[in-house]
Amino acid sequence: MDTKEKLKQILVKDLNLEEVTPEEISDSAPLFGEGLGLDSLDAVELVVIVQKHFGVEIKDMEEGRKAFQSVDSLAAYIEERKGA
Amino acid sequence: MRLSVRGIGIVGAFGTGVESFEKALVEGQVTVGSIEVATGEGVQAVPAYRADTAGLEEFVPKRSLRRVDHYSKLALLGSFLALKDAGMLDSGLSRVGLVIASGYGATATTYAFLDSLISGGDTCASPTHFANSVHNAAAANVAITLGIRGPSLTVSQFDMSVPSALVSARQWLAEGRVDTVLFGAIDEVSELVAYLQHRRRGPRHAPAMAPLDAGAESSIIGEGASFLLLTRDEGAPAYCGIDSVETGNLFGTQLSLPSDALLLLGADGRSELGRRYQDAVPEGAQAACYTPIYGSMPAAAGFDLAAAALALKAGRAFASPAGPGPFVPAPAAVSRICSLRLAGPSEYATIVMSKL
Amino acid sequence: MIHWPVAITGLGCICAAGGTVPDCLDSLYAGRRAPVPPTRFSTSHPTAFPVFEVRDFREPPELLRTSALGVQAAAEALADADLSPEELRGLRVGVCVGTTVGSALNDEGFCRAHRAGEEPDLFPMERILNSNPAAAIARAFGCTGPCQTVVNACASGTDAVGLAASWIRGGICDVAIAGGADELGRITYHGFISLMITDDSPCKPFDRDRKGLNLGEGAGMLVLESEQVRARRGARARSFVMGYGSACDAHHLTAPHPDGAGLRQAVAEALACCAVAAERVAFVNAHGTGTPDNDRVESRVLAELFPGVPYHSTKGHTGHTLGAAGGIEAVFTVACLERGVVPASAGFENVDPELAGEPLRGNREVAGDFALSQSLAFGGSNSVLLFGKGDAE
Repeated sequence: MDTKEKLKQILVKDLNLEEVTPEEISDSAPLFGEGLGLDSLDAVELVVIVQKHFGVEIKDMEEGRKAFQSVDSLAAYIEERKGA
Repeated sequence: MRLSVRGIGIVGAFGTGVESFEKALVEGQVTVGSIEVATGEGVQAVPAYRADTAGLEEFVPKRSLRRVDHYSKLALLGSFLALKDAGMLDSGLSRVGLVIASGYGATATTYAFLDSLISGGDTCASPTHFANSVHNAAAANVAITLGIRGPSLTVSQFDMSVPSALVSARQWLAEGRVDTVLFGAIDEVSELVAYLQHRRRGPRHAPAMAPLDAGAESSIIGEGASFLLLTRDEGAPAYCGIDSVETGNLFGTQLSLPSDALLLLGADGRSELGRRYQDAVPEGAQAACYTPIYGSMPAAAGFDLAAAALALKAGRAFASPAGPGPFVPAPAAVSRICSLRLAGPSEYATIVMSKL
Repeated sequence: MIHWPVAITGLGCICAAGGTVPDCLDSLYAGRRAPVPPTRFSTSHPTAFPVFEVRDFREPPELLRTSALGVQAAAEALADADLSPEELRGLRVGVCVGTTVGSALNDEGFCRAHRAGEEPDLFPMERILNSNPAAAIARAFGCTGPCQTVVNACASGTDAVGLAASWIRGGICDVAIAGGADELGRITYHGFISLMITDDSPCKPFDRDRKGLNLGEGAGMLVLESEQVRARRGARARSFVMGYGSACDAHHLTAPHPDGAGLRQAVAEALACCAVAAERVAFVNAHGTGTPDNDRVESRVLAELFPGVPYHSTKGHTGHTLGAAGGIEAVFTVACLERGVVPASAGFENVDPELAGEPLRGNREVAGDFALSQSLAFGGSNSVLLFGKGDAE
């Protein structure tokens, strides 16, 4: 399974996204605000999720903000650092 | 100053809403469920009164509940039901205060947070679980969902949470800080609560609660939410009035009880308290106990109040579901009830309610 | 309805700034602070976040540290009020205490053992059940009045003092011990780290470079007394609880309302209930945790409601003591109002151009009769206390 697919499944499960399936999440849609409707508490949860499932550390929210724009950007962020 | 109970929102093992609760009180029985818990001897089922929050879907879209845990869902459901019962669901909630009493708080989420630390290590603590594990998470979720912008108070005084919180709720109304208090009692059955029960009372759990049998160890853990909508008594129609609230420590002094009220005992099958209740009831006093309808939990004191309110509205007391015990049974007609709660060696609370 | 003032006749405090109220004040006025990485518990987190621990204090084994800290601060406050155990016995004394961890069935060791399939000793759980902070204080001093452990997260201590004042006004008790207590532990430490609002250096409330809070621990207690009892004893009021307000943001579980809606409402209520105008407030002890969000919202509300009024945060000296903070800061606010000198806001150096104002840079003499202490909490609870000058010394 590629990182994007895995990420979508984890998002739905760990953030308990009711009424959303992994397939419905588009790669480029914004995660926060209008897109998936995530908020600041989800953002910090996402930091833990990325650490837990991919072993990738997001040091602060400035870094997080860049990574969390979309599934695309987050997957790229993880790919870049995985195993680094 | 007298308070009046204008609405009741209640959920427990007996079902959802005042009608289910009243039906269970009239029939004198409720089906007891269980919760599975890991023990040193494998998974065991601990008897428990379980509450279902499915009724919440009538009031809020599922999507907005994705981060709301069972403890907060109980609070939300209780709140909506109480407002609906009082006909206030669509009225603006200005000058409304929120008071929540819980003995143990969100214990399932507290455990889930510890799990995140234990399984993932110190860098994988879940912030969502942490935020939801604070005792006032339920009040926060209710305020956010209902748009309550008045004062909010959560009290955790174990068995005395409800009477203690009621002291402050009454003051808010007496001092005119608010015109209405949404007053809720909540506790949840969680793996932790069940495991503690298993360790203390298991493995042979009593098949049914016999709270007025002072020597018997018959407690069964319970969960649910009992919300009362309280205002100053200004003559509007209501279930009943709350005349006085008193709580504190006796430290050897004598408990004083009204002689003209039915005593509603908070006894719940914990044998260490059974004797205290028996000693507290004066000879010849009429007494009743309804805890076998909702189970043993600190918030049960809030269910006592709701049961008393229903009895006073109808002017008829319910019979004690597990029999009258050594006391004079509740009379058919009732106009005044004193809810009595005892805890520890010397804590006490009396709440006197009367027919309007 | 105008609320009449409620006398404060005793103060007690224990925190990283000091083991007694005079010790704490010395640290505050001298600008001393020394947060260090936790020494009382271990962590495998790679970053060592500094905390403000209470040193040289050991709780008895049967009591939670939180409650032991509370008992210690209460003992100091009762001694300060000159209320002996004999005197207390004849009075109806209530106890109202804010906490965040003091009544939670939360024990990591117990949970770990249970998860590992063991049958852990019930002692840690029994200790929690026997250590409810308000109940523990009532037991320690034989208080017969109502006990209330307030769990309104970081506003708990402030609410406890406001509620206790209302009990005295309502004749529910003659004397009340009120404040807050909280201990520092692995659970809150890692919880706050996970929220990414802790600073890995000493906290800098209202500073341009602030990164978050440092946690702390301790207890702050006040003795409130009815006028009847006070007149009979001839006790001096060090200060008065004048007003109290609290309001919900109804906005978000962890983030404050961006306009500070609930805080404004709480301030308005605290001033209105005692009919004191905002211009008469001499200084404000701000919540000032050092998190970007809190300080932004708070400075904005302060600039609009209290233009030109000096403010400071004492969390640079104590860390954020959560449920204890409102109690500790009430004690500090009262003591500083009494002395007429407000300490500099520790940790503040650089003006943040995005904030509407700046906190006190140096100790400042103030002449006014009123001072405000405010708390903002998780769940959008906002609480505010207004204190008035006491009797002349």
